[in-house]
Amino acid sequence: MKEEDEVKTKSSTMKEKKLTRFWEWAISAIIFRLILIFFFPDHLSQLASRPEVSTPVTSLRRLAEGYWLKKQASISPYAGSMYHGSPLLLSVLGPLTVTDVDGQSSHILCSLLFVIADFVAALLLRATGQKLQSAYFQSSNSLGLDKILGASEIYASGDISALFYLWNPLTILTCVGSSTSPIENFLVILSIYGACTRLVPLAAVGWVLATHLSLYPAVLGIPVILLLGYGPDSPPKKLFLQKNSVETADHSSDSRLHHVKQGTDSAISSFSWKPIVLFILWASAWSIYILALCGISVRQNGGLQEMFKRTYGFILTVEDLSPNIGVLWYFFAEVFDFFRNFFLLVIHFNILFMILPLAIRMKHRPCFLAFVYVAICSMLKTYPSVADSALCLGLFGLFINQLLDMHFSFVLFCGYVGVNLLSPVMHNLWIWRGTGNANFYYATAIAYAALQIILVVDSASAMLNHDRWLRKLTTTITKT
Amino acid sequence: MSKMAKSGSPMKKPRPLVRIVLLLMSHRVIVSFLCFIAGVIALLLLPILAKNTYISENALMPGSANPMLSTQDVLDAEKLVDELMSLSLQSDDAGIEISRMLLKSVGDLSAEVSQFQFYPQANKFHPLQFFSSHFNDPDQENRTCISPSVSTVGIVRAPHGDGKEAIILVTPYNPLKLDAGEALSLGVAYSVFSLLTKVTWLAKDIVWLAADSRYGEHESVDAWLSEYYAPTFHRSGKSHINLCSGSNYHQVTENLAVGAEPLESFRRAGTMAAALVIKVVNGSKDSQDSLSIYAEASNGQMPNLDLINVVNYLAVHRHSLHVRVGKFWSLLESECLKMIGGTIEFLGNVVRSLNPQWGFGIPVSEYVEGTATLASSLYAQALGVPTGSHGAFRDYQIDAVTLVISPKASPYNLGKRSEFLLRSGRLVEGVIRSVNNLLEKFHQSFFLYLLTGSSKFVSVGIYMIAFALLIAPLPVVAASLYSDAVTSQPESDMVECSESSSSAALSISCGSWRWLYAAKSVFVIHIWAVVVALLPYLICEIPNITSRTCSISWILLSLFTLHIFYNVFGSPYSSVHSSYPHNEEWAILKSVMIAAAFTGVSLMSVVNFAAAEIGALLLVPFCLMAQPLKLDMGNSNVKSLARIACNMVCVLCLFPPFTFFVMKGLSEGFSCFDIGEFWTWVESLWLWNSATYLYVVLVHLPCWVLCTHLLLHPC
Repeated sequence: MKEEDEVKTKSSTMKEKKLTRFWEWAISAIIFRLILIFFFPDHLSQLASRPEVSTPVTSLRRLAEGYWLKKQASISPYAGSMYHGSPLLLSVLGPLTVTDVDGQSSHILCSLLFVIADFVAALLLRATGQKLQSAYFQSSNSLGLDKILGASEIYASGDISALFYLWNPLTILTCVGSSTSPIENFLVILSIYGACTRLVPLAAVGWVLATHLSLYPAVLGIPVILLLGYGPDSPPKKLFLQKNSVETADHSSDSRLHHVKQGTDSAISSFSWKPIVLFILWASAWSIYILALCGISVRQNGGLQEMFKRTYGFILTVEDLSPNIGVLWYFFAEVFDFFRNFFLLVIHFNILFMILPLAIRMKHRPCFLAFVYVAICSMLKTYPSVADSALCLGLFGLFINQLLDMHFSFVLFCGYVGVNLLSPVMHNLWIWRGTGNANFYYATAIAYAALQIILVVDSASAMLNHDRWLRKLTTTITKT
Repeated sequence: MSKMAKSGSPMKKPRPLVRIVLLLMSHRVIVSFLCFIAGVIALLLLPILAKNTYISENALMPGSANPMLSTQDVLDAEKLVDELMSLSLQSDDAGIEISRMLLKSVGDLSAEVSQFQFYPQANKFHPLQFFSSHFNDPDQENRTCISPSVSTVGIVRAPHGDGKEAIILVTPYNPLKLDAGEALSLGVAYSVFSLLTKVTWLAKDIVWLAADSRYGEHESVDAWLSEYYAPTFHRSGKSHINLCSGSNYHQVTENLAVGAEPLESFRRAGTMAAALVIKVVNGSKDSQDSLSIYAEASNGQMPNLDLINVVNYLAVHRHSLHVRVGKFWSLLESECLKMIGGTIEFLGNVVRSLNPQWGFGIPVSEYVEGTATLASSLYAQALGVPTGSHGAFRDYQIDAVTLVISPKASPYNLGKRSEFLLRSGRLVEGVIRSVNNLLEKFHQSFFLYLLTGSSKFVSVGIYMIAFALLIAPLPVVAASLYSDAVTSQPESDMVECSESSSSAALSISCGSWRWLYAAKSVFVIHIWAVVVALLPYLICEIPNITSRTCSISWILLSLFTLHIFYNVFGSPYSSVHSSYPHNEEWAILKSVMIAAAFTGVSLMSVVNFAAAEIGALLLVPFCLMAQPLKLDMGNSNVKSLARIACNMVCVLCLFPPFTFFVMKGLSEGFSCFDIGEFWTWVESLWLWNSATYLYVVLVHLPCWVLCTHLLLHPC
């Protein structure tokens, strides 16, 4: 992975560092997963019951139970508070859970599906990264920074982020650990990819399905709309305006400047409403379609109202207080019943409060905004698992060039490794050995949340610093 | 407004917290030295900081009732002991006869009785089983035709209980070679059991397991427990006989003779509240009967302190037994300890003379004894191997202790024997009565503690201080080295770009990500360590191999894989990046290595504190001192020479097999030196699923390898 060589890209004169063996590494990641799935089924079934990997919403075991209730017992899949996912997932994955392949464990087909989902998600990440990269080149060209930036190395962020997503131990755990999260992550990435490449129907279907499956991706609607409106990440609009004003004051008749000026004009193309309207239309069409499908599916079991109550209601009211890596289960286990509703509101508004300020500050970088939203959701959602971290870290890889100056990268790395190892040990100490108690485990959950906060704060400030640096650069250039 | 202007000034002062951290980091040598010394001193002070034990759970009420064990029970028990002894002297089929006799005598007491038989299992390598719970897959196919061990299980149903809880009595005995002590322990258990069939106050069922320990005490108890809690359904009574039919006729007859019932009749009581393992050994040199308490289970887990307290209280205050816990006898004569103890006593006296209220000193003898006990407690926990068959219970979260009672008189002295039986029987009865009073599980008192005497303990809150001081230098040094290395690179700050737009000044530095190369090398070494940890899988497969060849082939294979890893992934030196000055490269490698060691040691402290404490004592100085020899060679002052010497000693001493031999030599003398012993030791560790094995191979070994690399770094 480290063996990189410098390859001149066609799109610009900048040196781009490319990963030479992308496909080898990607394929070997897939093979690694397959080896795990086929040779260690017993260990994986143990893994599937770990609270870090499967939550009440994403557990495949619960899905199999729901499918059995629906098909064999022909009662509502939501009976008995076992299954809390979408009825569509039940119809797609349900048959796979009962199919036996050569005496192997019955979840093997689902696992294969998750492997495919992971692979496609990684490819989409790669394409998104390439798109972002070319947008970065274009904007720096139009700002006249290409000469200066040319001296520094630019990493192929798409390749890095795709490989990081594929080889991240958290992603691998999610993929082989029999939870439905790989599908959800895939849909989120699909929607971001669709928005980046301006494929409005794709963005809409990804967003609607992701929201349908796990509710929290709903907040990604804002970055998707910004992406469609402004285009992929670029330096702040101010910069282009500033440069323009300087140039018009100069009145120089150099042909090169004319060319640049045109480029600048195209780069600050203002907010376009047409794709937004299209997106809203497509999104509503898709949601109506999916709701109709769901309605047909749960027709005999209480209808859509029951489905909403058992899926979104379950997510929002934190009914299941079994321990997980989030911070809410302990809180709601301790809180008095008559304050419960109040704190539910507070917790959920916590996410909503952060949406608007961030959207205003980072509207010129919608993809990064999506990453920040995903990170915040993975911290504050009611049933988090390592899958959320996997998604968030995968998106993080997309901005590797802009975030080279993060201060706490080493601390974050050590923290992630330490907490992820400590958390199962504490769980073991509490549940199996009985010498620890819930506080031991919860302490690691708090440390984990703190790490995610550091990640968000540090990366956001590094991104803003990068913008400031670009501004300084442009002022220096225009002065000389 | 003026404030605003001030804060906008270029020389902004960092916040106090940040300043403290920066101060610590800038004085890393002195800070780490002080912390380490303080950690060692705190460890030596632990015997002074120990508190007296107290019974925390009120419901236990030990000794509040008069003992009911009568001489009649003792007489019955004595009769049983006599019969057992005579049987054991008789013939070669004593094993069957003894279990048959136990079956009959327990049955006569109007208690439920059954037999449990199990076959020994081949030793298997399960390095990672510590995390998962128990999987005992009995492989039927490989079982050779050997006679099963047949344990007798008697159950008294409590007249007042709901049958949901039980107290377990275990008496291990070897039917092939029954000695007087084992017969006596059976007698003690029998007398108590016969009493308990008659009493009215029982609220919990009593289970007496006379465990046939011909294949090991722990194995038989463990097999019974796993059948009790996790029954295997695919076995049937028939398969036992069919396996050996034809080839071994004796086997079949033995099965029939014992009347071994099929496993469907495995009898259970409720969940277990506590378990007592009773053993009697001969040859006490004390003037009175003495009782030794063994409590360490696997991975340094201890039973609830209340259980030990109850036993200790009853033994000392009701039955005037001399209570002991394990201690290192060799340390009692240590001059060094006596000197430290003397200093502490002197200091205590001085302080007391200043103000009589401030007494903290303890006498020298008490200090030395406390330290010897503490050392033994630390060692037994660190090894992670249970000190008796009570260890099997802790794996099911049941509190259990082994009571080893040694009579002052010979067991053949009949007059003293009945008195001894009465006394120890009453002790066991008292403990059972206390536990019987419990309404909940043991939870009130400590689980994490170290014993410094039978009635003194150090709780987790205190012993953690010593450990925290020991490892505190690690993050400080890692952070300091890292930040030094990152900030000392050529000036290329992103925000403050100079007026002259030279490309060097404006280029994006990937300074904060430079640890990636070092992290890669550290990661590769750790992956190698995982491979080394799994190598015994392969080595075990080789047939007819001695332990000496095993250990040698293990070491050679490890070196070979290390070589392969270097060829495939590159050695830690190959990542030396051309554009950076080399002297920072080793600093970053060291900082990542220290971070990894810190994570590993902290993890281990949660899993098994004592192992982490000992590991930190060994590892931390080396981690802190390691520095490329080339740098020290350059300037030949006293400091660098001393560092070179220390580093060389550490390299030698911390190589795991060598450390093992040094420790063994220090405790037992350097008489015999056999490399095979290391393999035997390691084998014992993984047989008991000890996390210490994982610690040694996954934390200690890679850290040692990386430190050695650092010393040889071509900077």
